[in-house]
Parts: sequence; structure tokens; C-alpha cells
Amino acid sequence: MNFVNRAFKNVTRKMSKSILLTLTFFLIGNLVIIGLGVSNASNSAKILTRKKMRAVVTYSLDYNKIWQYMDSIEDEDEREEFYNNYPRITLGEAEEFLKDTRVKTANAVSTNMWYMDHMKSLDFVHLNNQAEESYDGEGNCWIDDDGKERCYKSPTFLIKSNMFSSMIEFEDGEFKIVDGRFYNDNEINSGDLVCVISENLADYNGVSVGDDIRLSFAGTTFGGMEMSDDDTEAVFEVIGIFSHNHPITPDSSNFNYCAPYENPDNMIFMPTTSTYMASLAYNQKIFDYNREQNPDDEYYDEEKRPTEENMMENTYIENVTLLLSDPLDVDKFVEDYKNQLSQFTSLDANNEEFKKLAKPLDTLSMYANFIVSLVVINAVVIISLVTALTLKTREYEIGVLLSIGASKFKVIAQFFIELALVAILGFSLSVISGSLIAKKIGYKVLEYQIASSDIEEEDDSFDYYGEFDPWSTNYATEITLDDLVDEYEVTVSPLIIAEIYILGLGIVFISVIIPSFMIMRYNPKKILMNTN
Amino acid sequence: MAEILRLENINYSYIDGGYERQILKDLSYSFEEGRFYTVLGPSGSGKTTLLSIIAGLDTANSGEIYFNGQNVKELGLYRYRRNAISIVFQAYNLISYLTAVENVLLAMSETDNKLPADRKTVAYNLLSRFGIVRSKADRMVNQLSGGEQQRVAIARSLASNVNLIFADEPTGNLDTATEKEIIAIFKELSHDFGKTIIVVTHSDTVSQMSDQRVLLKDGKLHTL
Repeated sequence: MNFVNRAFKNVTRKMSKSILLTLTFFLIGNLVIIGLGVSNASNSAKILTRKKMRAVVTYSLDYNKIWQYMDSIEDEDEREEFYNNYPRITLGEAEEFLKDTRVKTANAVSTNMWYMDHMKSLDFVHLNNQAEESYDGEGNCWIDDDGKERCYKSPTFLIKSNMFSSMIEFEDGEFKIVDGRFYNDNEINSGDLVCVISENLADYNGVSVGDDIRLSFAGTTFGGMEMSDDDTEAVFEVIGIFSHNHPITPDSSNFNYCAPYENPDNMIFMPTTSTYMASLAYNQKIFDYNREQNPDDEYYDEEKRPTEENMMENTYIENVTLLLSDPLDVDKFVEDYKNQLSQFTSLDANNEEFKKLAKPLDTLSMYANFIVSLVVINAVVIISLVTALTLKTREYEIGVLLSIGASKFKVIAQFFIELALVAILGFSLSVISGSLIAKKIGYKVLEYQIASSDIEEEDDSFDYYGEFDPWSTNYATEITLDDLVDEYEVTVSPLIIAEIYILGLGIVFISVIIPSFMIMRYNPKKILMNTN
Repeated sequence: MAEILRLENINYSYIDGGYERQILKDLSYSFEEGRFYTVLGPSGSGKTTLLSIIAGLDTANSGEIYFNGQNVKELGLYRYRRNAISIVFQAYNLISYLTAVENVLLAMSETDNKLPADRKTVAYNLLSRFGIVRSKADRMVNQLSGGEQQRVAIARSLASNVNLIFADEPTGNLDTATEKEIIAIFKELSHDFGKTIIVVTHSDTVSQMSDQRVLLKDGKLHTL
């Protein structure tokens, strides 16, 4: 007749007490399951939606801070000094982030419109749309006041250049290398004239990996300067060919108005340093011309002349978008680096909209957790009281057990097992009913919460580029409230069931331990004298 | 006969209404193996207190208790209660949701003393020896009469195979005939089985049937 056996006999032979306690635990279990179910569904919906979003963090200048600082400067010289040393994002800072194992790759992208060369050796992929009817790629020519023919060239290609040897677009499968390769660090560092073109552009022009293509990066006139075609054109080696999943078709929202350079087929990827090197001679000519015209202007001092050596210093990075491996790391990543940022830079997790939309779920989760906490506290109090009253009637039994040498541990263990048995039964029953109730209540409260939260979604009625904007350097995924609601599913997972039992046994433990010690602090004689 | 229990300079007092009440005062006494003792004394003399202290249910303010020559403090009160002694109470103190035989098995499960393997059979035999037949042994204890419950309590006290049994007014709730039966059992246990029985009682009938009557007076035990 060990303590486990005694506990079992007490439960089975004192039926009315056991049924009442089972019912109590059943009710507690239902409330906790509903609370945990709703809270879990809210959190899961947020996690699943967040996982669907791109894990991007943007490192950029914080213009608000810069403007505030500038406003605070009263001294003119000091302000001039600040302008001369205007804050900028450096490649070194971006490379520091890349050392973090959570970062997959980074985009420090510049976007430029380039042109066909004067021989039109590389033609753009035609859509034969309305935009092309008034746009033949030759541009407009006119005779100026001096009687010279001036031509405005129409851009045909979009050059996307990066400072890193992989890009977010290629990492997440939007764009895929189908032949050759992407440019590497050596090519970035030396500014080699290499590029990656689209499959359609390659096919259209019969170009393969290893071939050279000629591109024009500027018009032949600049201010009063005359430029030759050679000045404004450069030859690039095609090192890779890509495919993409953003085809422009007659069904596309912007089909008729899509300029050639807005067609992803006419997008060309190359290192930012390649664009610098390609236009170096051109930029030097302009610099020299301007220095000649403005000999006293400090801006045109010799050390500021663009050269191969100062390529990196002259490569301007507007912002850096970091792609993390796990979307759930984004907030933590920003938090980790928050205190290491320089005065005028910021890290943005790009999830303000997500947080705004997730507010009803946050509120729901908060209320659900509050209810669970309240129920648990009440359960501890109620069960403790019930146990205390029950134990009071069993003081004599405690006295007898102690008088025959049973240890206090065994006595408490017996009471614990008794309560645990009915708790397990009550909670097991509540798992069945609770999951059904949680589902019904869960969706109702979410509906109510959304209705009362007064969320205004951003108006996206006009979306010129549809789902792919060739100009965009914002890689964050846009989400809607529906995305979140779609992921909201109230289920009683094995984890919740485990939580229920752990919580329940915790309640039982606390409920038994407190009244037990109230009785056990007496010696057996006092317990027996009290009862006798 | 060999000494089984020795009390040395036991003192016990408590504060009552701001005054200290000395119940036991330098009490020393020795109990021998296989004898049936009755402790007598007027109400309030401290008989039950004495029993509680020597049974390890309470502790004295000072003094030592030796069981078979070993200090009970060194033995530990839990182990002393579990393996050395057993107690029969006036109110039987059986566990109400257990049957008679389960109450006997309860004592067996707690002791560290060596017991026969087939404990259930032993428990039934013990009960049977005290007149609790099988059909009654399987009943819940509150379905038994007072005398039967006290017999179950005595059977439980023997179940852990100890040699020292204390009883506090064991016949207080019983009629005269049953009282005599219970005392006869105690006598049998001491004389035939070598158990030492120490009974606290008011009853002359009980005391007259014991081997040794001891009077608790002025905080000390006096052999009569």
C-alpha cells in the first residue's frame, strides 16, 4: 500500500470529491486552451506571414537626424565644414554587416539608363507596344542655334549595378543565371567591363557568354562639349545570361506604356565599378573641361579628378539592403546593431507596415495571454483553497501517516498524485471540448478585433509596374491584412496540449504544496491532538 | 529481562496563560522487553504528553530517550516511528478510504523492517488472529464496529514487526467486554510474542491486568 496506490484508492473511492475536482480542472482547462489557442494562432500567423516576407534590412543615411543636426548648427563655418564632410555610407561599413553569419548577401545598387551604341550592334528586346510606336530608340535630333545637329538619344537599357558579388534578386530566385556566371569580387575590385544580360536579349541579338557587347552610357553632348561615339561607348564582356520571372506580356498592367528600359529583358547587371571604369575617360574629359571653365573652383582641384585609383572613394552608395537568411532574425538583427550605428545612419527592418497590420493580432494575443494568466492565478487560488479545505479534513490522516513513520515527502506526493490524476482527467477532457470552442471563439474575436482596430491599409489602387518595379531598390515584401488573416488558424497543437499538462501539473503542485506545508509544520502529536 | 526503552531526565513544559506549566520534570524510567505496562495518573498529569514524547510524536525540552541502548535522536524520529515502535490510539486513527486489510498493509509499506514476501496473506492472518474475518477485512473500516476498528488498529501496530507498542486509552471508546478482549490481546502479545506494551489509561480494569503499573505524578514516573 504505497503512496501511489493510496492516492489511486482515494481518487476512486471518494468519487464525489473527485468528480467535482475533475469538473473544476475541466473548466480551467477549457479556458486555458481557448486562451493559448488564440494566442498561439495570433503568434503563428505573425510568424508565418513574417516568414513569407523578404528578410531584408536597409542600412541608409538617416536624413531626419542629419536635418535636425544641421538645424542645430548656428555657426556658418561649422555648417560649411559639415557640408564638406557630408555623412555617407561606406563600402567598409556594408562589408562589416556581411561578416555576420545571418546575412546572405547585400545590395548596394545603382540604377542607370543606358543606350544602344551608335552602330546599334545590340538591339533592345521589343515589346511592339504603344510606347515603342513613338520611340524608335534613335532619339530626337534637332539643329541648334549654331546650325549643328543635336540628338537626344532615347535610353533602351536599365543598368543595375551592385558593389557585391551576389544580389538579392538572384539569391531568392527572382532572377536566375542560366548560362555563365555572376560577376565576382575580383571583377568588382578592378572594375572589369563585364556584364550579365537576359536570356531574351541574348537570343534576340545572337549573343552568347564570352561575346562582347557595345553599350552607350551617355549622350554625345555635354554642356558646350562635343563628345565622340567612342567617348560615350564601352565594350563589355558578357559573362552570364539570366532568366527572370517577371515577363512583360500584353496582359501586364503597364504593357502599352512600358518603355524598353522598363522591360526586365533589357536589364543588364554589372559591378558599379564597371560603370565607373566604362565612363572614366568621359568623366575625366568633363572634369577637365569644367576645371578649365572654372579655374578657381575648389571643386575641380586636381585631387578630385576621377581616376582609376580613387574609383572606390568616388563610388557613391545610397543605401545597402541586407538579405538575411531567416526573416525571423530581422528584428533581432536590427536590435543587435542599433547601438553600433554611426550618428547619421539607420537600420530599418522594413516591417512598420507589418507591425501596423499585426496590431489586432498583437492585441488578441495580449488579451489571450492575460486571460490565461488570470485563469492560472485563479486556478492556483481556487485549487489551493479546495486542497486546503480537503487537507484540513484529512489532518488526522496526515497525523496517522506521520505517526507510522511515513515521510512528509511521501504524504505530499500522495496528495499531489491524487490531484494530478483528476487534473489529467479534467484536462484531457478539456482538450477535446476546448479545441472546438477555441476554434469558434478564436475567429469571432479576431473579426471583432479587426473591426474595432480601425486599420487603414495603404492605398495600392494605382500600381503602374504591377508586381515588378525595375527602378525599385526597396526589396521589402508588401503585405496586406488578408495575408495575416489567411495565416490565422486556431488549432490545439501538441505543444499547447503539453503546455496545458505542464501548466496543470504546476497548478496542482503549487496548490498542494502550500496547504500541505501549513499542516506539516506541526508535529504529528499536534495534528492528532487537533483532530482528536 | 533486557531493557528496551530508557528515559533519562526528561523535561517538558509549556506556556499557558503567560505561566510556564512543567508537565514532566527530570523524568527517568526504564522499560523492559516483553512486559505489559500501564501508565496511570490523574487527568492533566501529562500521560498523553509522555506517550507522545516516548513515541517520537513530540520532542521533550530536554532529556534523552534510548531505544535498545541507542539514542532516539541519533536514530532519527522518522526511522524510530517507522521501524521501532507502533501506536494504538483511542480513536483508532485508521484511514477511512481504505479497507481493514489495506490499513494493515499501510504500516507494512512504510517500515524498513524485514517482512514476509506475501504481505497480503500476513495481513489477513493478523486480522484473522484478532477476530477480523476475511469478509470484514475487505470492508472499508468505517463499516466496522468500534471494537473491530480497534482490533484492526492493533493488527496494524503489529504489522510492521516492531517490539515496542504504545497505546493511548485504547479501550476508552469500547464497552467493558470488548475492553477485556483488547487487554487480553495486549497480554498475549507481551507474554507470548515478547512485545513491550505501554498503555496510558484511566481504567482500573486495564491497569489491573497489566504486568507493571506505573504512576505519573508530579512530572515523574513511580512504579506501583
